[in-house]
Amino acid sequence: MGDEKKQGLFRAVISGLGGAIGFEIFALLNYAYFDLAGPSVLSALFFCSIINLITMLSYSELSATLPEVGGEYTYTKVAFGGIISFMAGCLRWLASIFGGALAAVVFAQQLGVLFSVFAPPIQDLILANTSLLIILVVVILVILAIRGISEADIIIVGGFLAIFVIFLFTSIGYSLAPQNIVPQFSGDGLTKFFATTAYLFPMFVGMRALIASAPKIKNPGKNVPRALLITTILLTVVYFAVTYVAVGVVPIDTPRTASNPPLLNMAAFTILGPIGAVLFAIAGIFASLSSVGTAMSVQSSLLGGMSRDGYLPNALQKLHNRFGSRYIAIIVSSLFVIVFGTTGAAVFLGYAASFGSLLVFALVNLSLIKLRRKMPRLDRPFKAPLYPLTPIAGIIMSVLLLAFPIVLGDVNASGAFLSSLGMVAVVLLTYYLRMVKREIDFDRLRVAVGGICLGTGATLLVMSPSITPLSMFPIIVLVGMLTIIAGLLNIAASAHKPD
Amino acid sequence: MENRRILSIIFGIAQSGIGILSGGVTVMLFFNFLEIQTVFNLPTEFMPIYLLVLGLFSLFSLINGFFLVREWWR
Repeated sequence: MGDEKKQGLFRAVISGLGGAIGFEIFALLNYAYFDLAGPSVLSALFFCSIINLITMLSYSELSATLPEVGGEYTYTKVAFGGIISFMAGCLRWLASIFGGALAAVVFAQQLGVLFSVFAPPIQDLILANTSLLIILVVVILVILAIRGISEADIIIVGGFLAIFVIFLFTSIGYSLAPQNIVPQFSGDGLTKFFATTAYLFPMFVGMRALIASAPKIKNPGKNVPRALLITTILLTVVYFAVTYVAVGVVPIDTPRTASNPPLLNMAAFTILGPIGAVLFAIAGIFASLSSVGTAMSVQSSLLGGMSRDGYLPNALQKLHNRFGSRYIAIIVSSLFVIVFGTTGAAVFLGYAASFGSLLVFALVNLSLIKLRRKMPRLDRPFKAPLYPLTPIAGIIMSVLLLAFPIVLGDVNASGAFLSSLGMVAVVLLTYYLRMVKREIDFDRLRVAVGGICLGTGATLLVMSPSITPLSMFPIIVLVGMLTIIAGLLNIAASAHKPD
Repeated sequence: MENRRILSIIFGIAQSGIGILSGGVTVMLFFNFLEIQTVFNLPTEFMPIYLLVLGLFSLFSLINGFFLVREWWR
């Protein structure tokens, strides 16, 4: 691509803002404000931006040094290769899945808020059928994604900023003075502060879209780091200002029910009346649709890349005959988005998306250190300042932010962390199965699975008298015996195999 | 040998069927279709454990059945 067709600094900043400003500000502030940090959510936002900036410095160096499509997956592949790069790709994919699922949940919420103004009975209908609505919107976006319809990010970013400016401008007449902006360090105040920081992290990570578009940017060695810094500053200012107003007009002891709108919508309603609620609901709807669409694009690109490198089945990189999109990868990813989205568990999804991103951030910082040592003479148009302090700080903060919500005893955080660990286990198993080529290893797997089924069947038979009702007893015994015999057949088949 | 192959396909299909059915029950429990949680009188606090156990049982049954059917296929 010639230089004249590449994007300049302004377009790069728009790309970063477009990736970051989205549904997260509608989804995450509620729990962070009402249940975690209270007004000190403002301090948590600021701290979040600092941590994000530290890792973005590592991203800047890596993207300037390796301006190729793939982002984190490419950096870890060059630095480590093997299981580490596969893990980075999968974690990035999972974070995108959880983010897409959360965006679908927010879409349904915002649609409910919109109709709460015009037609409350329709809002009740939406709230009662949220799962179906999420499935419908994801299916429609899948079809659009397969057809290669892309979102207009300049229009969306411009629209958001315009709505936020109106919101901030009209709040001038309000006496805003949120108390306790600085976190209280007594009791569990510090833990809640860090948990809030971890929870709000997805609000900033979207600016990685700028890194993904690095190959399309003119003079990436200079423009990408500049764009990252400018984007971080602009995002921090916008988020801080909007949250300051929202926290200032909505008291923390506001009574809440299941159908309560998100914090921003409540603040908009307070300042601008029903028009404000509608405006922000429309913004939230566009934000969430854009995020789900972007997530599908990222997911299919990641799966396609890992498939191309042999980590995943070839089918995932297959292109549609007519539209040229990775339609199988899009469909596979969207199924996961649907499964998680239909849970409606917004707080769980928020933590899960955050944890995935934090783990990826830690791997990116590690990759920077590894590449500096492994390839010290590599041309680096931009170098992260204060090396090695910045990547080390990035790794430490990522680990701490992972730990604090669990230390706090937040059930959602613990559930999200355990789910993330479970996903990591599945990733490792997938890597092992994919890399197993020799027949003898396949037989070991067969013996292992046969043994598991033998044990499971035996356990069912032994435990069935005490755990099953009388009516189910014959069925459980039959299932147990079938499982035992099937397990024995697999073990015996491997034993009889000629060498 | 032929008898073993016939047994393999029969038990492979049966095991795969068990895997699919238990997977279906897992999904139904997760989404509480047809109020199945109430029908089975399952305590809510143990639901994640039930889902995990059923899900794993379904997964391993499917894999086990797949291996047996694959042997017949080859």
